[in-house]
Amino acid sequence: MFIAALFELFQPTHFPYLLFGVLLGLTLGILPGLGGTSALAILLPFIYTFEPGVALAMMIGALAPTTTSDTFPAVLLGIPGTAGSQATVLDGHPMAKRGEAARALSAAFLASLVGGVFGALILSISIVFARPIIMAFGFGEQFLLILLALLMVGALTGANFLKGIASCFVGLVIGTIGLAEITGDPRFTFGTLYLRDGFPLIVMGLGLFAVPEIVGLMQSRSTIAGGGKLKIGWLDGLRDVTKNWFLVLRCSSLGVMVGALPGLGGTVVDWIAYSHAKQTVKNPEKLGTGDIRGVIAPESANNAKEGGALIPTILFGIPGSGNKVLLLGGLILVGIEPGIEMVTTQLDVTYLIIWSLAVANVIGAGLCIFLARPMAQLTRVPFYILAPVLIALIFFATFNASRDWIDFFSLMVFGAIGVVFKAFGWSRPALLIGFFLASKIELLSYQANAAYGWSFLTRTGSLLLVALALATIVFLIRQKGSEVAESSRSDQKGQLIFTGVLALFPAAMILAIIELDPRANVFPIALSGALLIMLFMIAGLQAMRLNPTTSKTVSRFTPLRIMSQNIFENEGTLSGHLRNYMILPVFFGLVMLLGFPIAAVALINGFVLMHDRRKYIVSGAISAAVLIILWTLSGALTLQYPAGVIANVISLPWWLGGAY
Amino acid sequence: MFKKPVRKLLGSALIAATMFGAASANAEVSFEGQTITVVIPFKEGGGTSRVFRFFQPYLSKYLPGNPVVQLQNIPGGGTIKGANFFHNNQNPDGTFLFATSSSVNIQQATGNDLAEFDLSEYRPVMSLATTTHWFTRSDLASGPNDISGLQARELSLFPLETASSADLFHLWIYDKLGINARPIPGLSTSAGFQSFLRGELQMASQGTSGFLSKVVPEIDAGNAVQFMTLGVLQADGSVAPPSYSSDAITFPEMYEKVNGMPLEGEDLEAFKVIAANWGPASKGLFLPTGTPQDVVDAWREAIRKMTEDPQFIADAPGNIGPFPVMIGEPVEEIFANAVNLSDASKSQFNAALKKYGMTFRIP
Repeated sequence: MFIAALFELFQPTHFPYLLFGVLLGLTLGILPGLGGTSALAILLPFIYTFEPGVALAMMIGALAPTTTSDTFPAVLLGIPGTAGSQATVLDGHPMAKRGEAARALSAAFLASLVGGVFGALILSISIVFARPIIMAFGFGEQFLLILLALLMVGALTGANFLKGIASCFVGLVIGTIGLAEITGDPRFTFGTLYLRDGFPLIVMGLGLFAVPEIVGLMQSRSTIAGGGKLKIGWLDGLRDVTKNWFLVLRCSSLGVMVGALPGLGGTVVDWIAYSHAKQTVKNPEKLGTGDIRGVIAPESANNAKEGGALIPTILFGIPGSGNKVLLLGGLILVGIEPGIEMVTTQLDVTYLIIWSLAVANVIGAGLCIFLARPMAQLTRVPFYILAPVLIALIFFATFNASRDWIDFFSLMVFGAIGVVFKAFGWSRPALLIGFFLASKIELLSYQANAAYGWSFLTRTGSLLLVALALATIVFLIRQKGSEVAESSRSDQKGQLIFTGVLALFPAAMILAIIELDPRANVFPIALSGALLIMLFMIAGLQAMRLNPTTSKTVSRFTPLRIMSQNIFENEGTLSGHLRNYMILPVFFGLVMLLGFPIAAVALINGFVLMHDRRKYIVSGAISAAVLIILWTLSGALTLQYPAGVIANVISLPWWLGGAY
Repeated sequence: MFKKPVRKLLGSALIAATMFGAASANAEVSFEGQTITVVIPFKEGGGTSRVFRFFQPYLSKYLPGNPVVQLQNIPGGGTIKGANFFHNNQNPDGTFLFATSSSVNIQQATGNDLAEFDLSEYRPVMSLATTTHWFTRSDLASGPNDISGLQARELSLFPLETASSADLFHLWIYDKLGINARPIPGLSTSAGFQSFLRGELQMASQGTSGFLSKVVPEIDAGNAVQFMTLGVLQADGSVAPPSYSSDAITFPEMYEKVNGMPLEGEDLEAFKVIAANWGPASKGLFLPTGTPQDVVDAWREAIRKMTEDPQFIADAPGNIGPFPVMIGEPVEEIFANAVNLSDASKSQFNAALKKYGMTFRIP
C-alpha cells in the first residue's frame, strides 16, 4: 500500500499536477499574505472540473510549499508571508541586512525540507494505528475535541486574548446563519435562498485574507519588495542545518504534535518552536540578533506541522489550521469524505496524500533554492500593476466558486470585515475557524446528548480531552499573564466605535430568531449573548483606557490590566485602508456596467495609466493576457461571466458576458 | 500527459469558433467539438454524481460527434440552487442537461416556495431505479430480516440528515415498524453509517450503490445484518426484492409481519409515493423545455446504445446496481407519480413528522 502509493504518485496522471500545485503554492507563498490559504481559496473553485486524483495532487501541491516559499519575504523584507513564518523574521531579516540573506534562505529551505519529510513520515506511521482511535471517537469525543480546538484558537490568535475569543465568537454566530441544523428552520436568511446554506467558505476566505493584503499593498504605494538583494553563498546555510540536526529533529517533532491539535496548528507553531529553541540552545541571548538557529527552528517546525495537521483533518474532518479548513472543503468537493474509510478502504488515497505532501515539500524546497532570484523579481512588481490584476483574480475566483454574482456582495462584505479586523487587531483566522466549526458544535452537542445523555463525559476519551482542555486553559492563563510589550495604538475612538457597531450583529441575530423553535434558536442565542457580553467588556476596557484617570485604575488591577493588554492593537490606519478598499465597489460597479471581462480590462488599464501614463504598453499587454486567460477558462469551465448592462445594448460574444 | 484538461481547452476553442452556428440548425444532430454540461444539484461524492460520472465516458462515446461531457455540480439549498440554475439557464440545443434524484423530486412534491423549477415541463431522457436497504448491528438481531431485537429496545437511534428532504420518508417507514425510534439529525448517509459502525446508532439505511460498496462488506464481516429492503415495484403491482439481495424481506412483507394485516389503503398509497421516489424516479436526466425532437431523440438513442455496450453491461451492476435504465416518454409518468402527492399521503407524512417532533410540514 505504502509503496503502491509512491508509485501512483509518479504516474503522469498525478505528478505533473502536483508539480503545478507546487508552482502555484510557491508563487503565491512569495507574495505576502497570499499564502497557502489564498492558494487553496483560488484553486478550490476549479477543483470540481478535474478528476479527483488530479485535484488532490494540485491541492496538496499548492499547500505544502507555501510555508517554505514565504521565507523569501520574511527574510528579504521582514514581512511574514504567512502566519507560519512570523518567527523566522526575528533572526532571518537581521541576517539579510548583514548580507547573509543567501545563508539564511538556504538554511531555512533545507530545514523546511527535513521538517516536511519528517512530518509526512510521522503521519504515515500514526495513520496505521488510527482505526481504534477513530472508533473510540464518538459524538462526545468529537464535541470535546472541537471545544478544545476553539479554546486554543480563540485565545492564541491576536495580541489581546479577549478580542481573539470575541473574533472566534463572531465567526461562530456567522456560522449559525442558514437552515437550523436540527429542525431545518431558516435562521437570519430573510427569506433568501442564498443565505439558507450560510455564507460560502471560499468567499469568506478570499474576503478575510486576500482583500486586506491587496488593500495593504495599495496602501504601501510601493512594490511588495522594498529592494532586497540575493547574494550567492548558500552552502554555509546547508552546513548550518546539518550542524544543528538535533534542533531540526526536536522542532519537527514539536511541529507534528502541535499541528495535530486541531485549530491550534499553523498560527502558533513557529512561535512555540522559536521559544523552544530559546529555552534549550547555548547562548540564547544571541537569538533575535540574526542567529541562524532562530531561522532553523521555526522553519523546520512550520513544515512538519503540515503533516501533523492532516491527522485530524483526514481522520475526523476537523481542520488543524486555517488552510486545512479550505483543504477539507476541497477534499469533500472531490468526493473524499474524511473519516474511518480513510484508513480502511481508502487507505491508498491517504498514503497518496501523505506521499504527495512529502514529495511536494522536497520539490518545493529544491525549487526555492534554484528559483530564488527569478521568483524574487515578482515582489518587485509595482503595486499599481499587481493590485488590479489581483483584484480581477479574486473576483474571478469568487464568481467561479458558485457562479452566483451575489457572491460579490459577500466578498465585499467580508473584505471590509477583513480590512477592519486587520487594522484594529481582531483575529481573522479565529473568525474563519469559528465559522467553520459552528455547525459542528451545534450538531455534535445535540447528537452526543441524544446518543449518550450526559454519560459521554465519563468515557475515557472524553476524560482525556477534558484534562487536555483544562491544561490548555492553565497554559493560556500563564502565557497571557506574562507581560508583553504594548503595541502601537492609533485611532482609539474609532476602535471603540467599531466594537459598538460589531455588537449590532449578535443583537440583530437574537431579534431575528427569537420566535423559532427552541431547538433552532437556543444555540445561536447563547452564542450571541456571550458575544454581546464580551464586546461589552472590550468596549468597557477600551473606554477606560481612553480616559487617563480610569486608565490608571485599569493599570493598578492586574486582571484588568492583563485583559486590556493590547486592546488597541492595530496595524496601519483604517481610513487609509478604507480609501483603498473602495476599489472593490468601484470594480463591482464596472462589472455591473460592462460585464466581467471588459471590466477587468478597464480596471487594469485605468489603474496602471492613472499612476503612470507612459506604461500603456505594459497595461495593454497585461490586459490582453488577462483576456486570453479569461477566454480560455470560460470555455474550459463552461463559465459565462456576469453580464453588464451594455450587453443589453450591444451584442457581445457570450464569453465577454453576452447572452447565449 | 495532460490529456483531459488539454482536451477541454481544445474543446473550448472549438466552441468559441462554432458558437454561432448552433447545432439545432443542422438536419443531422451532431455535438462535434461541443461541450455538454450536465447540471448536478449535489456535491461531488454523492450518489447522483457517482452515477453520472460512471455514464460520462459512454455518453461521450455514443452521442453524435463525440462531445466532451462535463458534470457541473451546483449543490446548495437542498438541491433548489442547482435546479433553479438549470431552470433559469435552459438552452435547448442539447448541450445543457439536468440530473436529478429523489431529493429534487421532494422539493417539488412538498411545494417549496423557493423552487422555481418544474420537472414535468422538461423533456425526460432517461431514469434509473435504485432501492433502499435497512440494516442493524448483528448483536441486535438473531439473523437477517429480524427486527424483534430492535422492537424490544427502549430506544433505537437512526440517522436523519434533515426533515425537509426525502429523508422524511424514513420517519414514516420507522413509524410503521413498531420500533421505538429516534432520529439523530444532521447526519448525512455517510456520517450516519460511520456512527452506526462506532455503535452509537442501532439502525441505518443506504441506497443501492452505498449498500453494495459499504454495507455488504460489513455484513460479510459479521458486523451488520440487513433487516429490510424497500423492494422494487413490478409491472403487475407486486413488490419484489432486488436481484442482488433476493433473500431480503421487502417493506410490504415486513409491514404485514409487524401489523398483522396487509399493506393497503392510505398506507399503501403513501408507500407508493416512497417507492416511486426511491425507486424508478430516484435518478433522472432531463433536457430543457422546448428542446427539438431530433435532439431529444439523439440523446435517447445515445443512452440506448450505452446500455447495450458490453463494457457497460459488465460494469453497471457494481456501480449503479442491476436495474434497467428507462428511456423516453414512460419516464414522464414515473416522475408525475413521484412529485404529485395526494392530500391523504401528505397528512400521512405530516403525522410522522409530528410524531418525531419535527417542525417541518408539507403544506
